[in-house]
Amino acid sequence: MLLEFKNVMPFPLKDYQHEETSVWKRGFQINFPKKVLLNASSGKGKSTFVSTAYGLRKDYTGSVLIDHKPIQEFSLEAWIELRRTRLSAVFQDLQLFPELTVWENLILKNDLTNHKSKEEIDSMLDLLGIGDKHDQVCGTLSLGQQQRVAIIRSLLQPFELLLMDEPFSHLDEKNASIALELIAKETDLNKGGFILTTLGSHHGFNYDEELKL
Amino acid sequence: MLKKILFRNSTNLQFIFATLGAIIGMTALLLSLQLIMDVQSFHSNEEELFGPNSVVIQKKVTKFTSIGMNSTEFTPEEISALEKKDFITDVAPFQSADFKVGISEVAGDGLPHFYADMFFQAIPTRFMDIDVNWDWTSESEYIPIVLPRDFIMIINYGFAQSQGMNQISEELLMAARLTIHIEGNGKKEKMIGRVVGFSHKISSILVPEPFLTHANNLYGNGRIQNPSRVFITTKDNSYGELDELMNDMNLDVNKSAIDVAKIKTIIAIVIGIFGIASVIIMLLSLLGFVQYSQLVLSKASYEIKTLVRIGYAIQRIVNTFIRQLSITFGLITAGSVAIMLTIKLLLVNPWLKENGIAIAGSSLWITLIAALICFLLFIASNYINIKKAVNRLGSE
Repeated sequence: MLLEFKNVMPFPLKDYQHEETSVWKRGFQINFPKKVLLNASSGKGKSTFVSTAYGLRKDYTGSVLIDHKPIQEFSLEAWIELRRTRLSAVFQDLQLFPELTVWENLILKNDLTNHKSKEEIDSMLDLLGIGDKHDQVCGTLSLGQQQRVAIIRSLLQPFELLLMDEPFSHLDEKNASIALELIAKETDLNKGGFILTTLGSHHGFNYDEELKL
Repeated sequence: MLKKILFRNSTNLQFIFATLGAIIGMTALLLSLQLIMDVQSFHSNEEELFGPNSVVIQKKVTKFTSIGMNSTEFTPEEISALEKKDFITDVAPFQSADFKVGISEVAGDGLPHFYADMFFQAIPTRFMDIDVNWDWTSESEYIPIVLPRDFIMIINYGFAQSQGMNQISEELLMAARLTIHIEGNGKKEKMIGRVVGFSHKISSILVPEPFLTHANNLYGNGRIQNPSRVFITTKDNSYGELDELMNDMNLDVNKSAIDVAKIKTIIAIVIGIFGIASVIIMLLSLLGFVQYSQLVLSKASYEIKTLVRIGYAIQRIVNTFIRQLSITFGLITAGSVAIMLTIKLLLVNPWLKENGIAIAGSSLWITLIAALICFLLFIASNYINIKKAVNRLGSE
């Protein structure tokens, strides 16, 4: 998947003094599969970047292209298809269903894609240390635990690009590394790539490319 | 699981009110529809309550008529004036016999010996209010005769008693043949006649039109007569105009015919108002349901948005809502039909029976189809509304 930002400037960020190296200034073009780190301090538009690339925000000038096609022209149906088969995301606000259990939240996605077996999902839960939360209602979990549910959910579909908006903000370094390792493994299985936004930490990982805001 | 997510926040109070409204509205609608059809099938004394409004009109006999100063005949001008009235759809003058008629019994047929002077009149068959074998040709075995229903009452409870005669039943009178004595144009003739029915509406002695035409040619005295009675058919709900016409032309109308016309109009208006009210209740409850689903949608807006974000198709979300509402509407429809039938069978039918009104078992099919149409209308309007809302939320 080829993702391109051409002169993209979100309305809320247009009066801000952006550095010359910023994506908002010079744009970019990345042909995935690649593992990309988007490093920026708070307030520079990390969430805006992810929401824009995921097609949720439309308040910007310039154009975002996927495989040379402007995403603003995509129909809702095209977006839904894209989000089920080629583009996945971990949102900063996680977007889980708080009244459903951990398992129901994951099955809700996997039923749609049939991407993983129940055993595979169980082993992901165990790997990230929340295997015992299987039947607990998501709303009662800690933010760190909810983040791990959201990460697993994002992996329950085929993807060429996985967008992650500060997915480890409530995890300790050790758990973050385990999670990133799982993400990298699944990314390779899908022959896809990811963009990981972070407040600064590299989580001890070697990225193919790094973007700045 | 989708159902669990989407209906999690739905409140029950609004749902209960919308459901109640829908059941009441739909029951009322189906009941009035069923009643209209039942009423249409009413047959009381062979007269259809909603059949054509045909009445006989004649001019009042006054003291001036008796001394020959004015006539009760309708002139051709007057008849064409009647034809031009907007509310009158059909006009047919009575044809009268231009010869003398008398009847007596046929010996051995069970009637006591009698002889009576008579008269014959004829009207076009389309105005006959009873269904009898009314064909006559010169080869016919007998002449069919229709008597007014009151006639036999007068004979039995008045004439027969005072003359010391036996009373005769309708069946006997219809089974027995009658000798018809015809005299006119210098000829005398006896023929056989038979009473084939009794009319509630027409107080005259009727024979088939072809027979009277034929007999008038043979035995008529050649006098040109203007008709003194005219049959008219009026449009529905026009008894007000008829009343006015009666006053203007100094007419006499069979009172019961006017009463029937009045009853018809009143029943039609009452059921009509009931029907319109039930349509309004239905529409309001439909509105209530649309609002209810709007409420459910707005309470589930986060869930809808998120489902679309993780790749759920709009149609699948819409279907979840519609499936749920279909069950609800299905139960409402079935409930309304059940309540309607209960009211009809336990309240309306016994009441009608007690009051001597027979219903020719009108079909339930039309009512059931109407219920189905209501159901589909509910689903369709909610479908459009929900689809629009889910699309809007999904695009956010």
